[in-house]
Amino acid sequence: MEEKVGWDKSVSDVNDGILIAVDKPHPTYYLALTIAFICMVIFFTSWGILVTYGMGLTGLNSPVYWGVCITNFVFWVGIGHAGTLISAILFLFRAKWRNSINRSAEAMTVFAVITAGLFPLIHVGRIWYAPYWMAPLPTTSNLWVNFRSPLVWDIFAISTYLTVSLLFWYMGLVPDIASMRDRVRGFKRLIFNVLSFGWVGTLRQWHHYEAGYGFLAALATPLVLSVHSIVSWDFAMALQPGWHTTIFPPYFVAGAILSGCAMVYVIVLPLRRMLQLEGFIRHEHLDALLRLTLLTSTIVAYAYSIEFFVAWYSGNEYEWAIFRKRAAGPYCFYFWTMVFCNCIFPLAFWSKKVRNNETWAFIICLLVNVGMWFERYNIVLSSLVEDFLPGSWGHYEPELIEITLTLGSFGWFFTWLLIFCRFFPIVSMSELKLIMPKPVRNHHHHG
Amino acid sequence: MDELTRLEKTTEVFVGPEGLEAPAKTFVPGPYYVAIDEVIPELGNIPEEVAGDKKSFKSWIPDVDRRDFMRLFSASAMFGAASCVRRPEEKAIPYVNQPIDHVPGVAVHYATTCNECAAGCGVIVKTREGRPVKLEGSARHPLSQGGMCALGQASIQGLYHPERQKTPLIRYGKRQDPADWSSVYQKIAEKVGDSTKIGILTGGSTGFQQQFFKAVLKKLGASENNLYTWESNSLYTAIGKAHELAFGQEGLPRIEFRKTNLVVSLGSDFLELGTSPTFHAKTFTKALSYINGKMGQLVQFEATYSLTGTKASKRVVIPPGYEFTVALLLLRSLLAAEGVRGEARDKEQAKQILAQVEGELAVAEKALSFSRHDFDALAKDMLAQNAVILAGSSASFDENSTKLQLVTILLNLLTGAYGSSLLFDRGWMTQPVKIGDMERFLTEAENLDVLFVIDTNPIFSCPPSWGVKEKLEKVKTVVSVQAFPNEVDDLAKFSLPGYHYLEAWGDEQPFAGFWSLRQPAVRATTDCRQAEDVLLWVLAHLNKPFGFPDYRAYLEEQYKSVFKQTGMQADYKKFYKAILRQGFVIKLDKRTQAPLAVIATHVSYKAPTPGLKLLSPLDHRLQDGRGAHLPVLQDIGDGMTTIAWDSWLAIHPDTATKLHIKRNQLVELTTEAGTIKVAAFPLPGIHPDALIVPRGNGHKGGSKISGGVGVDPLVVYPKAKDELSASPKTSDISVKITPTNEWYRLAAMQKHNDIANRTDIVKKITLSEAASNLKKQQNLDVVPDLYPKLEDSIYRWGLSIDLNRCNGCGACMVACAIENNVVQAGREQIIMGREMHWIRLDRYFFGDVNNPDVTFQPVMCQHCNHAPCEPVCPVFATSHDPEGLNAMTYNRCVGTRYCANACPYKVRRFNWWHHKWGEIGERLQDRNLRALNPDVTVRTKGVMEKCSFCVGRLRDAKHTAKEQKRYVFDGEVQTACQQTCPSDAISFGNLNKATSKVSAERASHRAYLLLGGEPEHGHYGLKTLPNVSYLAEVKHTLKEAGSHSGQHEEKNAHHPG
Repeated sequence: MEEKVGWDKSVSDVNDGILIAVDKPHPTYYLALTIAFICMVIFFTSWGILVTYGMGLTGLNSPVYWGVCITNFVFWVGIGHAGTLISAILFLFRAKWRNSINRSAEAMTVFAVITAGLFPLIHVGRIWYAPYWMAPLPTTSNLWVNFRSPLVWDIFAISTYLTVSLLFWYMGLVPDIASMRDRVRGFKRLIFNVLSFGWVGTLRQWHHYEAGYGFLAALATPLVLSVHSIVSWDFAMALQPGWHTTIFPPYFVAGAILSGCAMVYVIVLPLRRMLQLEGFIRHEHLDALLRLTLLTSTIVAYAYSIEFFVAWYSGNEYEWAIFRKRAAGPYCFYFWTMVFCNCIFPLAFWSKKVRNNETWAFIICLLVNVGMWFERYNIVLSSLVEDFLPGSWGHYEPELIEITLTLGSFGWFFTWLLIFCRFFPIVSMSELKLIMPKPVRNHHHHG
Repeated sequence: MDELTRLEKTTEVFVGPEGLEAPAKTFVPGPYYVAIDEVIPELGNIPEEVAGDKKSFKSWIPDVDRRDFMRLFSASAMFGAASCVRRPEEKAIPYVNQPIDHVPGVAVHYATTCNECAAGCGVIVKTREGRPVKLEGSARHPLSQGGMCALGQASIQGLYHPERQKTPLIRYGKRQDPADWSSVYQKIAEKVGDSTKIGILTGGSTGFQQQFFKAVLKKLGASENNLYTWESNSLYTAIGKAHELAFGQEGLPRIEFRKTNLVVSLGSDFLELGTSPTFHAKTFTKALSYINGKMGQLVQFEATYSLTGTKASKRVVIPPGYEFTVALLLLRSLLAAEGVRGEARDKEQAKQILAQVEGELAVAEKALSFSRHDFDALAKDMLAQNAVILAGSSASFDENSTKLQLVTILLNLLTGAYGSSLLFDRGWMTQPVKIGDMERFLTEAENLDVLFVIDTNPIFSCPPSWGVKEKLEKVKTVVSVQAFPNEVDDLAKFSLPGYHYLEAWGDEQPFAGFWSLRQPAVRATTDCRQAEDVLLWVLAHLNKPFGFPDYRAYLEEQYKSVFKQTGMQADYKKFYKAILRQGFVIKLDKRTQAPLAVIATHVSYKAPTPGLKLLSPLDHRLQDGRGAHLPVLQDIGDGMTTIAWDSWLAIHPDTATKLHIKRNQLVELTTEAGTIKVAAFPLPGIHPDALIVPRGNGHKGGSKISGGVGVDPLVVYPKAKDELSASPKTSDISVKITPTNEWYRLAAMQKHNDIANRTDIVKKITLSEAASNLKKQQNLDVVPDLYPKLEDSIYRWGLSIDLNRCNGCGACMVACAIENNVVQAGREQIIMGREMHWIRLDRYFFGDVNNPDVTFQPVMCQHCNHAPCEPVCPVFATSHDPEGLNAMTYNRCVGTRYCANACPYKVRRFNWWHHKWGEIGERLQDRNLRALNPDVTVRTKGVMEKCSFCVGRLRDAKHTAKEQKRYVFDGEVQTACQQTCPSDAISFGNLNKATSKVSAERASHRAYLLLGGEPEHGHYGLKTLPNVSYLAEVKHTLKEAGSHSGQHEEKNAHHPG
């Protein structure tokens, strides 16, 4: 299946090529970091204002009690999906192309999940109580969390996912940190030595490493499916028409993978430029990523259509009314944005020309992310705006603070990601070496 | 100076040798309502015809040991007396030193009489630690019968209003300086001097107040005629004048709904306004609402869509100003009908009138959709069903209003309503105002040296074209004594803070031979004085002794005559104290109704001109603007449009389309008198020629609550009047309507007006269907599901709402807000969709846009047994109570708002902001902390809240029952909404007791659960199993649930079985 990769570098170029870029990134890197940092400042300022004055600053109301914040939460959890999928599931399937991008995907996962985790905190009315009371801490008053609540499941699902992702990510980093250690002296060396747990790359160490990595991959795989299933239950467990459906878990997982793959592409492409990694992340790898995006896009398209079919077939007037309103109601713009961005535009990836054209592929992947954001927005909004009793139907438009929080969350995410790139290799050197060609002796020793 | 010294000494009179009332246990061993019969047995004998709820408190008491019951209440009763004692130096502040015998936390109740409108309903004031916290309709008072309207419920906010004037103010040019009372009296006395040109302008009242004012004027040497009364509800003058002309006797007929089976209303709004709305709503509901397979009929002819119209079994839309035409046509048909009643002389007069108007009537007849044939059929029906005809809305007043009443008298004579359903010979309603006073005042005002304006605001409530303001400016000295500062204070020389009625002494005599007393429930909360006492002080300063130290003493003296009239055997002191406890005394007057005088000469008729007409009915909440400063009234919104904090132009949707006017578009209405700019609101069901701008809002300045809110439609009314009663015309004028390019967003709470073809939200059945299923019972709680059985418990609290009865008046919303410390969100938040009401009124239109049916559906927390909100809360902030309550733990709530999303009824309310008690957005909020109900937690920012079934009241009742070693009786605990409902639409009680009223209603074939599918077809909807059930609306005929807006084309989806 896999096409032959046209490498122009070899294993011996890996450490030098990747780590030099880490030390001396392209100037655009600093520009990107500055922008991300400013956005992060906006993020925390907005959050502070929100906590000070209350949720009234948002556009939320009765009946639309959830809006952009929950959309962002689901969006970022979704983004956090592809990382583990690419790292763990593709590792188990021995898809070699993953080796060049898995580190960036994992880093994206970790930071995206952290970002996602902030949004439930942002949107609660009393953040000064929420983290404490929602944690299942033993109390003398026997007052515990409500284990029937999907929000509690969320806490477990996301914290587990974050923990496993972190471990998986860090484990992959260990040999690379050791490589970095070998290049530096003094205090830095000490630090890297500690961080790499004294890795020296003996056969025995590699043996344990491989076993452990495989084990974690196997552990992470069901989590890929569980996290977003549980997130989907936040909706599916409520009686709201358009939410209360059994299709949600697989539908959400497919959507999450779609957005994750597209996001990896959106992130990797500029990073490849900034950090001069063109020689290591080849267009064949990116091509494979785009093909995965195409696949998940068709799954998502199927989910959309089957959801509509079931709504009609169920004969439930409330359910069907919601779906018709999604497509033709006052908020249909979001629906059609979602359809075009997630199902129609990615069809262009059938064409190899488009897949090879980085500009077009980048634009489409960006649009997929926009589409996936609107998918969540559409789900959250349309089911709430006009549900059961016509007398309590309402409307919702996001307010400025919700927009700044959304924008700011990207700043928070990219700040971490860019800082990570500056200190650690964004391409897994050890794993890259497994798939790259051996150096041809002749070339090096001529004369 | 004799009198003055005595008055000064009488600060002690406030305490008196025995206090205001002797310690309760010396003569009444219980609260006001328990043992009154034991004091003076006759007092308990309320004539059956005016008796309120037959189920008095006594009826459920028998199974308690009376002694236990008395013992329990004696402490509170003692305080009932004690805290009424007024010590002038004492402020209404929390107790630093707890008075002996006081039990903190135990409420003390007082009986008093509402003073918000001229109706005079009985009120029970609940006070806690000396502060009134809630008003309730007095259950035994014949007028309120336990109910209370929205305005009355809200009036407690007036007591604590932060903008109440704190001290007397004296005006020097534009400046107003605070002054102390003694110098104010001195200065007013100087102004009065030896002048006899003194006048008093006051609001309508039926008690001894007007007699007192006349006596004061006499003492001052002025003419008794210098007492001017003004009431903007011109129904009093129109009906009163017509009856004066017709019978030469004073008063208004009292309506006895239970003697009729058909009410024909010619534009009458008797259920929400009229002459005595709560009384009418209570008695109308009892007599004509659906019960046991029977239902009376209401035929409503109207151009507007009044709340009364929503209860009509047949509603005929007529062009504006055609009520008189309809009355005449009805007269014609009635006269021709077989079996018409009435004297031959009356019929002769009727014939004469018809002969006079024949030509014009034939022209006007063509404009009606109701044909001669229809009128004939209706006339036949009217005779068969002993119809009563009610005419005229309370403030839409035109030149024909009194003539309309005259013809209505004839109609009622011909149907034989007088003597049965209209009582003019026994306990008739008394006239609160003198007819034609405003016109008289305007001609005489210029000659006055000093004018006292007491608790009335004609500058706002009389059309400006009448020039009340200009006239008042010409009066040398205006002394304004107002419970709440208003426009009169802006030009008064002396602007004096008067008593709120909860601080004042007074009385009303709503019917002849029925006296309702007003007593203070709290010491004055600002440095204010009772208006009557101000007059006494002025007299004292003029050294013209009046003979009474204060109005209280005057009142007590006057009741000696009442005592004599009642012929009771107890001694007077005992009698007076006892009626203060009860709040009223009855010995209905009787007289012979005079034969009909010649009225035909008064009746002339001209066919109304066609074209767009402006109508300005009173807003059912704010009335003529007297409720506009009460934020809770502004916040509950108008019943029909659901618009809060505003005025609007209601316009027929087709007319709006024709004139290219869209919702929220500002339009200009122009006449020669002026121009107003108001936002349009297309409203189905009104006549295409009707342009309706309600009165009540549009105050220019003054209160921060009402100032700048809405527009005052009276501005465009040129000076015109009804010739017979000399009342200002406030209706049916031609206006020029010009759409502008400006937009203004009306804060309509309900954004969608039809039911979107959904079948398990509002259910309706026909009368024949209801009657044939009368015996059928059902058990709504048997629903096949996988959940475990409900826990066994002695109580399962449930509530039942009869959609047939609710008329959308909004009293429940106000009562709930006051009881539960619900904040008022304000216009900006309501536009965002953030109203905070725990109970809301959903209003749905059914059928044709020209004459749709309207159903009001009160929705509060449904307290589901399988509540979707409960499992989703991560912190157990909302949980199920073994007694069926869906409980909220505010302290535990972190504000994920998941519960509100999961709730299919959308009854949960979130605190988006930290609501400061004192502000609504940028507006002051009139709930200061003292007004809060101490039994209910105040919620903070970030917390979800919702209806609790008044859990505080439940706890109270259960504690009482426990101490008495018994269970809570059915009817012992009432929720605030249920208690106040003037239509008795809400029942509350224990569902686990089969004999409770609410169980019976839940088992009725009419009962259904909101979103509960169609159980009879095996479809159980959401299976949330609410403890709230609804009783389907019963209609004589059903209208198709069409979609008037055309937005919602859902076909009637079929539920798979």
